[in-house]
Amino acid sequence: MKINEYIESGILEAYVLGSASEAEANELLYLKTQHPQIEDAIFKLESDLERIAEHMAIAPPPNTWAKIEGGINELVKTPQFEYLIGDEPKENSRGSKSGKSAQFIEVEAESGHMRIRKIWRWVFLAVFVLGKIFLAFAIYYYLENRHTQEEIEKLKTELENKRTK
Amino acid sequence: MLETTPHTLTEHQPESIRSLYDRHAGMLLGYIFEVVKDRKLAEEYLVKVFCDLSVRFNDVNRTGISGWPQLQKFARQKLLSFPGSPGYTNLNTGLKISDSPNSALRQLTEEQRQVFCDIYYKGRTIADISRTLNKTEDLTRKALKEAFAIMRKGSEN
Repeated sequence: MKINEYIESGILEAYVLGSASEAEANELLYLKTQHPQIEDAIFKLESDLERIAEHMAIAPPPNTWAKIEGGINELVKTPQFEYLIGDEPKENSRGSKSGKSAQFIEVEAESGHMRIRKIWRWVFLAVFVLGKIFLAFAIYYYLENRHTQEEIEKLKTELENKRTK
Repeated sequence: MLETTPHTLTEHQPESIRSLYDRHAGMLLGYIFEVVKDRKLAEEYLVKVFCDLSVRFNDVNRTGISGWPQLQKFARQKLLSFPGSPGYTNLNTGLKISDSPNSALRQLTEEQRQVFCDIYYKGRTIADISRTLNKTEDLTRKALKEAFAIMRKGSEN
Protein backbone atom coordinates (compact mmCIF):
# COMPACT_ATOMS: atom_id res chain seq x y z
CA MET A 1 0.00 0.00 0.00
CA LYS A 2 1.29 3.43 -0.91
CA ILE A 3 1.16 5.49 2.24
CA ASN A 4 0.91 8.84 0.47
CA GLU A 5 -2.10 7.63 -1.49
CA TYR A 6 -3.62 6.33 1.73
CA ILE A 7 -3.10 9.69 3.44
CA GLU A 8 -4.54 11.53 0.45
CA SER A 9 -7.59 9.25 0.24
CA GLY A 10 -9.51 11.24 2.86
CA ILE A 11 -9.67 8.37 5.31
CA LEU A 12 -7.69 10.32 7.90
CA GLU A 13 -10.20 13.17 7.76
CA ALA A 14 -13.03 10.65 8.18
CA TYR A 15 -11.21 9.16 11.19
CA VAL A 16 -10.55 12.52 12.85
CA LEU A 17 -14.19 13.53 12.38
CA GLY A 18 -15.32 10.21 13.87
CA SER A 19 -16.86 8.89 10.68
CA ALA A 20 -14.54 5.98 9.88
CA SER A 21 -15.94 2.48 10.20
CA GLU A 22 -14.52 0.15 12.84
CA ALA A 23 -12.51 -1.78 10.25
CA GLU A 24 -11.11 1.45 8.78
CA ALA A 25 -10.22 2.76 12.23
CA ASN A 26 -8.49 -0.49 13.15
CA GLU A 27 -6.51 -0.49 9.93
CA LEU A 28 -5.57 3.14 10.48
CA LEU A 29 -4.44 2.51 14.04
CA TYR A 30 -2.31 -0.39 12.84
CA LEU A 31 -0.77 1.67 10.01
CA LYS A 32 -0.17 4.53 12.42
CA THR A 33 2.20 2.34 14.39
CA GLN A 34 4.02 1.35 11.20
CA HIS A 35 4.21 4.76 9.54
CA PRO A 36 5.01 7.85 11.60
CA GLN A 37 3.84 10.11 8.77
CA ILE A 38 0.28 8.88 9.41
CA GLU A 39 0.57 9.84 13.06
CA ASP A 40 1.90 13.26 12.05
CA ALA A 41 -0.92 13.72 9.56
CA ILE A 42 -3.55 12.83 12.18
CA PHE A 43 -1.99 15.22 14.67
CA LYS A 44 -2.04 17.96 12.04
CA LEU A 45 -5.66 17.24 11.14
CA GLU A 46 -6.69 17.35 14.80
CA SER A 47 -4.95 20.72 15.16
CA ASP A 48 -6.71 21.92 11.99
CA LEU A 49 -10.05 20.74 13.31
CA GLU A 50 -9.42 22.69 16.50
CA ARG A 51 -8.53 25.77 14.48
CA ILE A 52 -11.72 25.41 12.41
CA ALA A 53 -13.73 25.19 15.62
CA GLU A 54 -11.91 28.23 17.05
CA HIS A 55 -12.78 30.11 13.90
CA MET A 56 -16.46 29.27 14.43
CA ALA A 57 -16.38 29.93 18.19
CA ILE A 58 -18.95 32.10 19.93
CA ALA A 59 -18.12 33.52 23.35
CA PRO A 60 -20.59 32.15 25.91
CA PRO A 61 -22.46 34.66 28.10
CA PRO A 62 -20.70 35.42 31.41
CA ASN A 63 -23.24 33.55 33.56
CA THR A 64 -22.86 30.25 31.67
CA TRP A 65 -20.34 28.74 34.04
CA ALA A 66 -22.57 29.56 37.02
CA LYS A 67 -25.41 27.69 35.28
CA ILE A 68 -23.16 24.69 34.67
CA GLU A 69 -22.03 24.69 38.30
CA GLY A 70 -25.66 24.89 39.39
CA GLY A 71 -26.52 22.01 37.08
CA ILE A 72 -23.67 19.89 38.41
CA ASN A 73 -24.71 20.58 42.00
CA GLU A 74 -28.29 19.64 41.16
CA LEU A 75 -27.13 16.40 39.59
CA VAL A 76 -25.18 15.61 42.74
CA LYS A 77 -28.26 16.17 44.89
CA THR A 78 -30.71 14.18 42.76
CA PRO A 79 -30.96 10.38 42.91
CA GLN A 80 -29.98 10.32 39.23
CA PHE A 81 -26.46 10.82 40.51
CA GLU A 82 -26.50 7.37 42.08
CA TYR A 83 -25.59 5.65 38.86
CA LEU A 84 -22.22 7.33 38.98
CA ILE A 85 -21.20 4.89 41.63
CA GLY A 86 -23.07 1.97 40.10
CA ASP A 87 -23.84 0.81 36.62
CA GLU A 88 -24.48 3.50 34.11
CA PRO A 89 -28.01 3.38 32.73
CA LYS A 90 -28.49 2.49 29.09
CA GLU A 91 -28.75 5.29 26.54
CA ASN A 92 -32.47 4.60 26.04
CA SER A 93 -33.37 5.17 29.64
CA ARG A 94 -31.22 8.28 29.71
CA GLY A 95 -32.95 9.36 26.56
CA SER A 96 -36.33 9.15 28.21
CA LYS A 97 -35.06 11.31 31.05
CA SER A 98 -33.80 13.85 28.62
CA GLY A 99 -37.17 13.56 26.94
CA LYS A 100 -38.79 14.66 30.14
CA SER A 101 -36.46 17.59 30.48
CA ALA A 102 -37.29 18.67 26.96
CA GLN A 103 -40.90 19.10 28.04
CA PHE A 104 -39.92 21.65 30.68
CA ILE A 105 -39.12 25.28 30.41
CA GLU A 106 -36.64 26.75 32.80
CA VAL A 107 -37.69 29.68 34.87
CA GLU A 108 -34.67 31.43 36.20
CA ALA A 109 -34.94 33.33 39.46
CA GLU A 110 -32.29 34.98 41.54
CA SER A 111 -32.36 32.12 44.00
CA GLY A 112 -32.07 29.38 41.40
CA HIS A 113 -34.19 27.49 38.90
CA MET A 114 -37.72 26.19 38.90
CA ARG A 115 -38.95 23.75 36.31
CA ILE A 116 -42.54 23.70 35.13
CA ARG A 117 -44.22 21.99 32.23
CA LYS A 118 -44.91 24.20 29.25
CA ILE A 119 -48.54 22.99 29.23
CA TRP A 120 -49.08 24.78 32.55
CA ARG A 121 -48.85 28.10 30.75
CA TRP A 122 -52.15 27.30 28.96
CA VAL A 123 -53.67 25.71 32.03
CA PHE A 124 -52.95 28.85 34.05
CA LEU A 125 -54.45 31.00 31.30
CA ALA A 126 -57.57 28.80 31.09
CA VAL A 127 -57.97 28.84 34.88
CA PHE A 128 -57.63 32.62 34.90
CA VAL A 129 -60.21 33.14 32.13
CA LEU A 130 -62.64 30.61 33.64
CA GLY A 131 -62.18 32.26 37.04
CA LYS A 132 -63.19 35.62 35.56
CA ILE A 133 -66.23 34.08 33.85
CA PHE A 134 -67.36 32.34 37.07
CA LEU A 135 -66.87 35.56 38.99
CA ALA A 136 -69.01 37.48 36.51
CA PHE A 137 -71.74 34.81 36.70
CA ALA A 138 -71.55 34.77 40.49
CA ILE A 139 -71.97 38.56 40.70
CA TYR A 140 -74.81 38.44 38.17
CA TYR A 141 -76.71 35.70 40.01
CA TYR A 142 -76.05 37.36 43.37
CA LEU A 143 -77.57 40.63 42.15
CA GLU A 144 -80.41 38.75 40.45
CA ASN A 145 -81.11 36.82 43.61
CA ARG A 146 -81.06 39.96 45.72
CA HIS A 147 -83.43 41.63 43.33
CA THR A 148 -85.78 38.64 43.44
CA GLN A 149 -85.65 38.61 47.25
CA GLU A 150 -86.58 42.27 47.29
CA GLU A 151 -89.47 41.59 44.90
CA ILE A 152 -90.71 38.76 47.11
CA GLU A 153 -90.48 40.97 50.18
CA LYS A 154 -92.43 43.66 48.39
CA LEU A 155 -95.11 41.19 47.29
CA LYS A 156 -95.34 39.80 50.82
CA THR A 157 -95.86 43.23 52.32
CA GLU A 158 -98.42 44.06 49.61
CA LEU A 159 -100.26 40.82 50.33
CA GLU A 160 -100.24 41.47 54.06
CA ASN A 161 -101.51 44.99 53.50
CA LYS A 162 -104.36 43.65 51.39
CA ARG A 163 -105.26 41.08 54.05
CA THR A 164 -105.35 43.67 56.80
CA LYS A 165 -107.61 45.86 54.69
CA MET B 1 -10.38 -0.63 41.64
CA LEU B 2 -10.77 3.02 42.48
CA GLU B 3 -13.67 3.77 44.73
CA THR B 4 -15.78 6.61 43.51
CA THR B 5 -18.11 8.49 45.79
CA PRO B 6 -20.27 11.48 45.06
CA HIS B 7 -18.10 13.47 47.43
CA THR B 8 -14.86 12.76 45.59
CA LEU B 9 -16.50 13.47 42.26
CA THR B 10 -17.83 16.85 43.27
CA GLU B 11 -14.60 17.65 44.98
CA HIS B 12 -12.41 17.05 41.97
CA GLN B 13 -14.63 17.62 38.98
CA PRO B 14 -15.28 21.34 38.81
CA GLU B 15 -11.64 22.34 38.31
CA SER B 16 -11.15 19.80 35.54
CA ILE B 17 -14.46 20.60 33.91
CA ARG B 18 -13.63 24.25 34.37
CA SER B 19 -10.37 23.91 32.48
CA LEU B 20 -12.20 22.15 29.64
CA TYR B 21 -14.78 24.91 29.77
CA ASP B 22 -12.14 27.65 29.65
CA ARG B 23 -10.44 26.10 26.67
CA HIS B 24 -13.38 24.91 24.62
CA ALA B 25 -16.68 26.49 25.72
CA GLY B 26 -16.61 29.09 22.95
CA MET B 27 -15.78 26.48 20.34
CA LEU B 28 -18.48 24.19 21.63
CA LEU B 29 -21.07 26.96 21.65
CA GLY B 30 -20.14 27.81 18.07
CA TYR B 31 -20.43 24.15 17.14
CA ILE B 32 -23.80 23.70 18.83
CA PHE B 33 -25.06 26.93 17.30
CA GLU B 34 -24.24 25.61 13.82
CA VAL B 35 -26.40 22.60 14.66
CA VAL B 36 -29.42 24.26 16.25
CA LYS B 37 -29.22 27.74 14.62
CA ASP B 38 -30.66 29.25 17.78
CA ARG B 39 -28.40 31.13 20.16
CA LYS B 40 -30.50 30.61 23.28
CA LEU B 41 -31.04 26.94 22.62
CA ALA B 42 -27.34 26.52 21.86
CA GLU B 43 -26.47 28.06 25.23
CA GLU B 44 -28.95 25.72 26.95
CA TYR B 45 -27.41 22.70 25.24
CA LEU B 46 -23.92 23.92 26.12
CA VAL B 47 -24.88 23.85 29.80
CA LYS B 48 -26.45 20.40 29.39
CA VAL B 49 -23.40 19.01 27.61
CA PHE B 50 -21.04 20.24 30.32
CA CYS B 51 -23.32 18.92 33.07
CA ASP B 52 -23.44 15.56 31.34
CA LEU B 53 -19.72 15.67 30.87
CA SER B 54 -19.28 16.20 34.60
CA VAL B 55 -21.41 13.12 35.30
CA ARG B 56 -19.19 11.03 33.07
CA PHE B 57 -16.02 12.81 33.92
CA ASN B 58 -14.34 9.81 35.51
CA ASP B 59 -14.84 7.79 32.33
CA VAL B 60 -13.85 10.81 30.35
CA ASN B 61 -10.61 11.11 32.25
CA ARG B 62 -9.81 7.49 31.62
CA THR B 63 -10.58 7.72 27.94
CA GLY B 64 -8.68 10.97 27.69
CA ILE B 65 -11.12 13.71 26.66
CA SER B 66 -8.80 16.61 26.85
CA GLY B 67 -8.74 17.83 23.30
CA TRP B 68 -11.32 19.35 21.03
CA PRO B 69 -11.88 16.32 18.72
CA GLN B 70 -12.96 14.13 21.62
CA LEU B 71 -15.08 16.84 23.19
CA GLN B 72 -16.74 17.56 19.86
CA LYS B 73 -17.59 13.87 19.39
CA PHE B 74 -18.97 13.70 22.92
CA ALA B 75 -21.09 16.80 22.30
CA ARG B 76 -22.33 15.43 18.98
CA GLN B 77 -23.36 12.19 20.64
CA LYS B 78 -25.14 14.14 23.38
CA LEU B 79 -26.91 16.41 20.93
CA LEU B 80 -28.15 13.39 19.03
CA SER B 81 -29.45 11.83 22.23
CA PHE B 82 -31.48 14.88 23.29
CA PRO B 83 -34.97 13.83 22.24
CA GLY B 84 -36.72 16.49 20.27
CA SER B 85 -33.43 18.22 19.72
CA PRO B 86 -34.39 20.55 16.93
CA GLY B 87 -30.85 20.59 15.69
CA TYR B 88 -30.98 17.37 13.82
CA THR B 89 -34.38 17.93 12.36
CA ASN B 90 -33.55 21.48 11.39
CA LEU B 91 -30.05 20.90 10.21
CA ASN B 92 -30.52 20.68 6.52
CA THR B 93 -27.11 21.21 5.15
CA GLY B 94 -27.06 23.59 2.31
CA LEU B 95 -30.50 24.98 3.01
CA LYS B 96 -29.85 26.50 6.42
CA ILE B 97 -26.45 27.75 5.45
CA SER B 98 -27.79 31.25 4.93
CA ASP B 99 -28.22 31.44 8.71
CA SER B 100 -24.63 30.54 9.33
CA PRO B 101 -22.24 33.30 10.26
CA ASN B 102 -19.42 31.05 9.15
CA SER B 103 -17.97 32.21 5.88
CA ALA B 104 -15.81 29.11 5.46
CA LEU B 105 -18.91 26.90 5.15
CA ARG B 106 -20.21 29.19 2.42
CA GLN B 107 -17.12 28.54 0.34
CA LEU B 108 -17.92 24.86 0.03
CA THR B 109 -19.86 23.45 -2.88
CA GLU B 110 -23.25 22.03 -2.01
CA GLU B 111 -21.93 18.49 -2.12
CA GLN B 112 -18.81 19.27 -0.08
CA ARG B 113 -20.95 21.06 2.48
CA GLN B 114 -23.37 18.18 2.73
CA VAL B 115 -20.56 15.67 3.23
CA PHE B 116 -18.72 17.87 5.75
CA CYS B 117 -21.82 18.86 7.74
CA ASP B 118 -23.33 15.37 7.71
CA ILE B 119 -20.13 14.01 9.20
CA TYR B 120 -19.07 16.86 11.48
CA TYR B 121 -22.48 17.75 12.85
CA LYS B 122 -24.59 14.65 12.37
CA GLY B 123 -21.95 11.96 12.80
CA ARG B 124 -23.06 10.06 9.70
CA THR B 125 -20.71 7.51 8.25
CA ILE B 126 -19.00 7.72 4.87
CA ALA B 127 -20.87 4.59 3.74
CA ASP B 128 -24.22 6.11 4.71
CA ILE B 129 -23.55 9.40 2.96
CA SER B 130 -22.24 7.58 -0.13
CA ARG B 131 -25.54 5.71 -0.38
CA THR B 132 -27.48 8.97 -0.06
CA LEU B 133 -25.40 10.73 -2.68
CA ASN B 134 -25.25 7.65 -4.86
CA LYS B 135 -21.47 7.89 -5.02
CA THR B 136 -18.60 5.61 -4.24
CA GLU B 137 -17.08 5.83 -0.77
CA ASP B 138 -13.78 6.91 -2.35
CA LEU B 139 -15.45 9.90 -3.99
CA THR B 140 -17.24 10.81 -0.76
CA ARG B 141 -13.95 10.69 1.15
CA LYS B 142 -12.39 12.85 -1.52
CA ALA B 143 -15.20 15.40 -1.16
CA LEU B 144 -14.65 15.36 2.60
CA LYS B 145 -10.93 15.91 2.16
CA GLU B 146 -11.54 18.85 -0.16
CA ALA B 147 -14.12 20.32 2.21
CA PHE B 148 -11.74 19.94 5.13
CA ALA B 149 -8.97 21.68 3.19
CA ILE B 150 -11.27 24.61 2.32
CA MET B 151 -12.48 24.88 5.91
CA ARG B 152 -8.87 24.84 7.13
CA LYS B 153 -7.91 27.54 4.68
CA GLY B 154 -10.95 29.59 5.70
CA SER B 155 -10.00 29.35 9.35
CA GLU B 156 -6.48 30.56 8.62
CA ASN B 157 -7.70 33.82 7.14
